[in-house]
Amino acid sequence: MRRIGRSGFGLAMLGFCLVTAASLAQNPGYQQDPTWHAPADAASRPNPLASKPETAAGGRKLFLRNCAECHGKPGTGIEAKHSADLQLPVVQQQTDGVLFWKITNGNATRGMPSFSKLPELQRWQIVLYIRTLKP
Amino acid sequence: MPQCAWIRYIDATELQLIIVPTITRSALILFLLAAAASSSAQESPFFVTYNHHMEEPGNLDIEVSSTSDVARSGQQTYFAPYMELEYGVTAQWTTEFYLEGQSTWGDSTVFTGWRLENRFKPLKREHWINPVLYLEYENLNEASRIQKEVEGEAPDVSSPNALLTPELDHELESKLILSSDYHDWNIAENFIVAKNFSQSEGVEFGYSFGASRPLATLASGADCRFCRENFMVGAEMYGGLGSTLDFGVHNTAHYIAPVLAWAISDDSTLRFSPGFGLTHESNPVLFRFGYTYEVQNFGSKVARLFGRKQ
Repeated sequence: MRRIGRSGFGLAMLGFCLVTAASLAQNPGYQQDPTWHAPADAASRPNPLASKPETAAGGRKLFLRNCAECHGKPGTGIEAKHSADLQLPVVQQQTDGVLFWKITNGNATRGMPSFSKLPELQRWQIVLYIRTLKP
Repeated sequence: MPQCAWIRYIDATELQLIIVPTITRSALILFLLAAAASSSAQESPFFVTYNHHMEEPGNLDIEVSSTSDVARSGQQTYFAPYMELEYGVTAQWTTEFYLEGQSTWGDSTVFTGWRLENRFKPLKREHWINPVLYLEYENLNEASRIQKEVEGEAPDVSSPNALLTPELDHELESKLILSSDYHDWNIAENFIVAKNFSQSEGVEFGYSFGASRPLATLASGADCRFCRENFMVGAEMYGGLGSTLDFGVHNTAHYIAPVLAWAISDDSTLRFSPGFGLTHESNPVLFRFGYTYEVQNFGSKVARLFGRKQ
């Protein structure tokens, strides 16, 4: 009887977590987040690969692996994902440092994960590739 | 003589002759499966240590792993496979569900239970040290051998499964995960506190540390499987620290383990780690293999299945 009680507790806990997980696994509607600002020192960082435009090819590969899932292969965003259109001037006008900071930190409240798991140079490669996205 | 009986009398060298081809064949099958996969896997290479990198929201990782050992004299070699489903609920919350089993040479194959774990990352931004809170419920029996974490005293690897499986463990385990990314290195420290509600073991403690980095930090433009950037290497160290009844390293198991991860495709990662026991209570060597397949947008696919409009 005691074992049944413990197993029941475990199953109830499992059910609760799965139901809660399913209800929260939704991306809220995308809109520019006015609070998502890079600190000034991060925004002013130059891209160390700026003089190596050929490394954008590697950036494309990384973009397709890590970013296209939400932003689409052309980077125009996916409506269902409410993700940003990276070709828009509002994105392209941001400095390399800002884009790097946003890729690194993500925006948890809007469903954008942090990509700090990628090495720094690879994140700069992605920034380099984003610069090539044109309408 | 029953087939299983002779296995008890062969020595460790002969056992390795049996196990190594089996592991080689398993690795080959995993490789072929992975090579057939369609396509961003940058999985942590660690088997025991957790870092602060969470599963991406809506993605599901399906992972099949195993732990096997080289037994000491008088003990039986085992093979403990487990399946893990890891889902990114939000950018700050990852949940995982495990099913595990175990097969001991010359003994039997048994189901050893399930686990449900949750990891919460309280801070939204990256910092020098990134804390993650971990909470796990385990519904296992004493025959569990996957050693996903090592805590308290060393596990009993000498008794037969028939004696161990009736002994149920209902355990609540928490970890404080601290993790830093420093110059392309990831350095992680885990501090474990666990309470088994089925046994009078007090509160148990354990630890694990790990460091890893990719072999190359710049991605090549070529679509390649063997590029250096697809490999991650590192090492982890883990062990038990006793319990409130007997705190310390006395009668505890400790391991140091090099780790290697290979992102064989955009969605698949193979991992391997030989763990070397540092104390008499440890297994001399633990072999860990893992294959992870990532299903992107799993949450959206399930939602569509149930008719939710995107």
